[in-house]
Amino acid sequence: MKDRHLSLNQTQRVRLEAALQELQSVAPAAVSAAAVTVADTIPVNQEDNILKGHGTSDQDGEVVATLCGVVERVNKLVYVRTLRARYKPEVGDIIVGRVIEIAPKRWRLEINFSQDAVLMLSSMNLPDGIQRRRTAVDELNMRSIFEENDVICAEVRGFQHDGSLHLQARSEKYGKLERGQLLMVAPYLVKRKKQHFHHLEKYNVDLILGCNGFIWAGEHVVVGEKPKTTGGQQGFSTEAENFTPLETRKHICRLANSVRVLSALGFTLTVELIIETMEASASSNVEINDMLGAEFYVQTAEREAKRRADLLRKKNDAR
Amino acid sequence: MSAQAGPGTYSPAAAAGDRRRERKEELRRHLAEDADWPRADGRSFHDCRPAFMQTGPTTAASGSAYAEFGKTKVIVSVFGPRESKKAMMYSDVGRLNCNVSYTTFATPVRGQGADNKEYSSMLHKALEGAVMLHTFPKTTVDVFALVLESGGSDLPIIISCASLALADAGIMMYDLVTSVSVSCFRKNIIIDPTSDEEAWQDGSLVVAFMPARKEITQLTLTGEWSDGRITNAVELCMDACSKLGDILRDRLKDTATLTCE
Repeated sequence: MKDRHLSLNQTQRVRLEAALQELQSVAPAAVSAAAVTVADTIPVNQEDNILKGHGTSDQDGEVVATLCGVVERVNKLVYVRTLRARYKPEVGDIIVGRVIEIAPKRWRLEINFSQDAVLMLSSMNLPDGIQRRRTAVDELNMRSIFEENDVICAEVRGFQHDGSLHLQARSEKYGKLERGQLLMVAPYLVKRKKQHFHHLEKYNVDLILGCNGFIWAGEHVVVGEKPKTTGGQQGFSTEAENFTPLETRKHICRLANSVRVLSALGFTLTVELIIETMEASASSNVEINDMLGAEFYVQTAEREAKRRADLLRKKNDAR
Repeated sequence: MSAQAGPGTYSPAAAAGDRRRERKEELRRHLAEDADWPRADGRSFHDCRPAFMQTGPTTAASGSAYAEFGKTKVIVSVFGPRESKKAMMYSDVGRLNCNVSYTTFATPVRGQGADNKEYSSMLHKALEGAVMLHTFPKTTVDVFALVLESGGSDLPIIISCASLALADAGIMMYDLVTSVSVSCFRKNIIIDPTSDEEAWQDGSLVVAFMPARKEITQLTLTGEWSDGRITNAVELCMDACSKLGDILRDRLKDTATLTCE
């Protein structure tokens, strides 16, 4: 179990080991066989004209791994899928990032990539919603849109020739994220899906699974809804606008802790699994702060092992 | 103020100081005899200390490793690749930034860590040949090594631990770098010396080696050596480095397999 050193008692340790053992038996045997470390030789058939992909190099006519990870084969392409590397962006990825600098006509964002991403002023919708040319006034007012340390959701637009990353936030679903928690997990735990924005209606909570491993759990915001205020009621409406109901805050914390538990156990994060973990914690009357305790970790591991075993049994029955 | 250490101070107790003095006297006596002698920890001349290595102790870092060789304890954290904050010209290759520091309590006498600047540059030279710097242009990889306890042969352990941390961080490397040091006492060559043995050595040799490629990335020689003895010492180091490389590989393979599942 990674990233967390829990104080497990003897019973919990035995249960956790049993659950992990079961997960290991359910996992395909090829996985452990395909694990390589730096400078390990990757067995390939020399007669096939194989393509050496990421994480491989040629040494004395042999294909050698330059990374620690798992060997993947796609037709003739052989590459190493690394486990602890930083995020590798692809065009169209939904990412969550944090503003670290405001530069002329652009914001710089930290997105867990080897270089800072750039969000151009021209690549996003202005607050007034009007499509027009950006002026010097807009440039001066950049800090009123996003300032340092703001959390932003955007989409990968493309790469520059020097490898730096360009983002865009043209749709109304992108933009500043407020009233929630930002969680950072390993990027390999978030798989690319069609849908990365999830609205959990039951809890009135939004969940954004960023491909870069930054996950946002926050209060639901209706797209396009802008609170209008009049002169006399200015103070009151601002106060109401910043207020998040206690129940919603509890749901956000429970959701965030579910993500923390699953990521620490190394399970791939899907919205179904997160909701299942969240509901399991609520149904077994586990307090929000107790979710990060040893017992809930063990229960989650056992539940996931059982789920995967059932899934495998169903597959075998179908055959 | 009295010279005697009070109960509230950090000075080593008098008994501990006496024991250390006795050990040094014994070592000096053995050196005078110029024959085989049992080392303080019961090892023979060509035995390394038991090694414990672990990946991922620092959760905030991209990759990290902890190494414990006898009394020497080292933790290394790797951050990056991340954008170079220095306003530099565009570079086709990445930068490797190494920094070695000692805790104030690492040595018996408080705050007497080794020359950090020198160790930092030596660590950089040892790792530079193994890291594929061309795979991360415009960016920097930071390697921070912290010696928690200095028990001798610090630099080789720092190099091996840093190599493990780089692999854990997913930095592309030609091979892992392992390192071992030997000390020479008159006619004898002893491997993996402790701090007491280092204090009385006639010369030392540190070899940083890539086991799979059979290439030496760094060789540091100090003191008086004859040609024949240098050859023997280098071969001894390379053999030990190969065995240490297997330990590092097993540790990484365990981590990879666990993470996959």
